[in-house]
Formats: sequence, structure tokens, C-alpha cells
Amino acid sequence: MDFSRYNAAEQAQIQAMVEQKQMKDFLKMYQNLVERCFNDCVSDFSSKAVSTKEQTCITRCFGKILGASERVGERFSELNQQMMMGQQQ
Amino acid sequence: MAMWGGGFGAGSQAVNPQNIAVAEQELEMVTDLFNRISNVCYNKCIPPKYAEDTLNKGESVCIDRCVAKFMDVNLKISELLQKRGQEGGGGVPGVPAATS
Repeated sequence: MDFSRYNAAEQAQIQAMVEQKQMKDFLKMYQNLVERCFNDCVSDFSSKAVSTKEQTCITRCFGKILGASERVGERFSELNQQMMMGQQQ
Repeated sequence: MAMWGGGFGAGSQAVNPQNIAVAEQELEMVTDLFNRISNVCYNKCIPPKYAEDTLNKGESVCIDRCVAKFMDVNLKISELLQKRGQEGGGGVPGVPAATS
């Protein structure tokens, strides 16, 4: 997104708004990670301690979700750029 | 950085709240779309096997294609809605018409 058409004061306020949104988004991502990895990795309640198997699963789940998110981000921004360039023609 | 605007006649330094609202909405739409794509494509492409902690080749390719298809479908639906709006007088079934 291009915010350079706004004046400096507006840009400053927009920047503050962006940072706040980023923090909220980070929290949402964290909650999503916990819920997904718990759902996918933990189903044995014969003990209240997290087993090594579950621990490994959670580490891998974390890796996969973040990897997927990164990749979606790359493709998404590429496609967005293509669309914007297409619109300028 | 706050200095450069004044000398070049770049307009008053007053903040137009509508501009902020527009920027906020744009950001909201983009982050919402991104989050939805992330969720949907993860569900479709990553089986909960977790044999390793990175994406394998198949999953990576699936994600690439999923993102492209989702954006396509997104556009398609938007076009269909626009067309229907032009033909049928603008109403969306089930949604009460906005009264001004």
C-alpha cells in the first residue's frame, strides 16, 4: 500500500495506526498458533505433562505454520504488485 | 522528517480524519484478506502430519497455487457481484437495502 499521497502529519498518524494493528495481528497470530498446534498435536490426557512426542510435534507445527505464512506473504505481495502494475496501464 | 513538507507548499499539515479512516480501512482489508488466505491454504495444503519443521516441496507448491487461485476466485466473485448489481438493481439477497 502506498501512503505517500498523504501529508507528513497524516503519515505519522497512519504509521502509529499501522503499528497498533501490527501488534494486534501479532497477538492474533500467537493465539492461532497455540490453538492449531494444540488441536493437531495434543490428544492424550493420561498425563498432564507434555510428552516428548507432543513437544516435537508442536515444534514442527510451529515451523510449518510460520513457513506457510511466510510463503503466502511472498506470493500475496507478488500478486498484489502485479495487480497494481496492471491497473496503472 | 517533519520539516520537509512546510517549505514546498505540500499543503497544510492538518490531519484529515477521513484520510486516516480510508488508510485504516485499506490496511484492514488487506490484512483480513491475507489472514483468510493463510488459514484456508494452510487447511488445504498442510496435512497435520508434522514429519519435519519446514514445508516440503509439495506443500510449498500447493501453497503457491492456492494463493494464486484464491486471488482469482476473489476477483471472479467480485466481478459476478458487480454484474448482478448492474442487472438486478443492486440488492444483495438477504441483506436489507441501505436507507439514507
